[in-house]
Amino acid sequence: MPQTRAPDAIYLDHAATTPVRAEVLDAMLPFLGARFGNPSSTHRWGREARVALDEARERVAATLGAHTDEICFTSGGTEADNLAVLGTWRARRAARPAIVTSPVEHKAVLETVHQAAREGGEERCCRITGEGQVDVASVDALADERTALVSVMWVNNEIGTIQDVPRIAAIAKERGAVMHTDAVQAFGKIEVDVGRVPVDVLTISGHKIGAPKGIGAIFIRRGVTIEPLFHGGTQDRGRRPGTENVAAAVGLARAAELAVAQRERESARLRVLRDELEAAILGAVPDAVVHGRGAPRAAHILSLSVPGVDGETMLMALDLQGVACSAGSACQSGSVTPSHVLAAMGVRPDLASSSVRMSLGSLTTPECVRRVAALFPALVRKARGAPVGAA
Amino acid sequence: MNRGPRVLVAMSGGVDSSVAAALLVEQGYDVVGATMKLFCHDAALPDRPCCSLDSVNDARRVCDHLGIPHYVLNMESAFGRDVVDDFVAEYARGRTPIPCVRCNTFTKFRDLVRKADAIDAAFVATGHYARVVEGMLHRGLDPAKDQSYFLWGIDRAVLSRLLLPVGALTKAETRARARALGLRVVADKVESQDICFVPDGDHAKVIAARLGADAPALARGPFLTVDGSVVGEHHGFARYTVGQRKGLPGGFAEPMYVVGIRPESRAVVIGPRSELLGRGVVARELRWLVEPLGAGARVEVQVRHRATPAAAEVLRVDGDAIELALDEPVAAIAPGQSLVLYDGDRVLGGGVIEQSRPARPSLPVLAA
Repeated sequence: MPQTRAPDAIYLDHAATTPVRAEVLDAMLPFLGARFGNPSSTHRWGREARVALDEARERVAATLGAHTDEICFTSGGTEADNLAVLGTWRARRAARPAIVTSPVEHKAVLETVHQAAREGGEERCCRITGEGQVDVASVDALADERTALVSVMWVNNEIGTIQDVPRIAAIAKERGAVMHTDAVQAFGKIEVDVGRVPVDVLTISGHKIGAPKGIGAIFIRRGVTIEPLFHGGTQDRGRRPGTENVAAAVGLARAAELAVAQRERESARLRVLRDELEAAILGAVPDAVVHGRGAPRAAHILSLSVPGVDGETMLMALDLQGVACSAGSACQSGSVTPSHVLAAMGVRPDLASSSVRMSLGSLTTPECVRRVAALFPALVRKARGAPVGAA
Repeated sequence: MNRGPRVLVAMSGGVDSSVAAALLVEQGYDVVGATMKLFCHDAALPDRPCCSLDSVNDARRVCDHLGIPHYVLNMESAFGRDVVDDFVAEYARGRTPIPCVRCNTFTKFRDLVRKADAIDAAFVATGHYARVVEGMLHRGLDPAKDQSYFLWGIDRAVLSRLLLPVGALTKAETRARARALGLRVVADKVESQDICFVPDGDHAKVIAARLGADAPALARGPFLTVDGSVVGEHHGFARYTVGQRKGLPGGFAEPMYVVGIRPESRAVVIGPRSELLGRGVVARELRWLVEPLGAGARVEVQVRHRATPAAAEVLRVDGDAIELALDEPVAAIAPGQSLVLYDGDRVLGGGVIEQSRPARPSLPVLAA
């Protein structure tokens, strides 16, 4: 008996995952049914699937400003980041053993860089400002002719800060390093166009933009060599062997098209709502700290800490009121561990452990924001020790 | 749906706390389940019957089955400070701590109660085999399972907010209820016996991890007899506890026991059973769960989990210290263990054993 969810529950965790869009599900269904063929087969079922897959690839490429052959489907953002970092580094390691990255990357990048280091690579971590921005001068100082790749995320998943990827990519290019950016939280939120920004490798994830979990894509610029992580057939030019997830690829294509087409309007809408929520909370809880407030931020993320109130307690109290948010990084057990992002920004541990992330998206309405703006300060008062029963 | 008062249930993923939650749901409470993450799920630690990742998942599944919310609360740093650090420090002092007592006192019935406050939960509940009767803590009805000995340290004010639904059941009844409720995930789970954060029941590993393998408590030292003669060598006094028979030198006319530990000389003192008997006991960190008693009060005491209660008289109460005279000698009163005061089934209070007195102390001279 799953717990019944209140009909007026509020989902403010779009940076964790999003519901599959109806248009996306519709686009996928034929490939979970009659059009079930294996794209590598020569018969009609195979051809049908192959055409759908190639079209999906072409459509994803178009949303990024890429050539069709520059797109490779993966099982999601984590696999794409692994392939980007390890695949690039392994192909170039002989002459260029170093990787330049930032301490606020997603674990899918950080842990993969650690793996490269265990295989003999040299890890170089750039500096982060107190507002959560990569210090471009520090990247400039670290990237050299021994650098295989520079990997810096475009939008931070915990606090929403936008990194200066165009400038960082220009530095990487000048040093002959491959530029990778994890654009999982950027795609569909800010402009991501590989025709305009000289990134070489870029990763996106389906379930952050209304496609299902289990699909992602990597853009690999023509001329960039990547060693595959998997070994097997020749699917995807050998870059990613394994029978393709046709239905999910078609879903990703549809979701990417919708996200890009609606990006400007949706971002503007979310920015108004996010700023309203932020202002309301700061008005009622004046000592709350909004992380990354002084930096350019994507519109959908609000990360804040309330001194003296641990984030875990707030999440529990919010959830019991029907409001879903997140705090720090969730670990396997579902408990909250201190955020490496806030630590890298120099946020005090006690303040870091009181952080709550609200991320807005398709399910967020002005009514949601008004209700959370009223509820949040009341829960803060309670968590700060107002007597039980008092509001 | 009109719900009753909210209760936060500490759920380990075991059968007792699962049934506790289920019973509270049946009784109409607005039940919220929480599993406390108390230490790191290190790859080096094998899967434990308690506190493991699987246990968290089991608790979550039970809550899903019951239709109630479930949260994982990361209480690692406070637990490490209040429970694990003290555990190690006590062994380093030659004493035998009970971390479960401190976990109840600090982690469950102080820190978790604060979480309950924040979510408007008027009550907290656990799967302990003990009962709260009219605001007083009582033994669990199943004498084989009674866990009241571990609960003396809780704040008296918490008692009125405490629900212990399985305290009125036997273990067999609890398992039967679990099966009847369809909680097959936990109904036949093996019971956790060890201390949750101690791998393989080897507490020396935890001490070594915190203090280093060369810590004095784990270094070689002499076995002494009561008269001071050296009769052998041991490999760390922290591996011994008062009353222990295993791992001692042989060749004595009568069975020998650990009768004392002297950390300053790293000596483990052994002696015959007669040397193990105490006729008085001093405890500290005293807490009352009733109106405090004074000198002259007659009580029953337990110096160990599952020990037979012994009749005693309070000699003096001085701040957080208490001294009692025992009517009959009691064996193996180990410093660091709990002294719990009972009146029949009712828990009066308790403290941490400081020392045993070999002779019956005389009553204090009343002030003139």
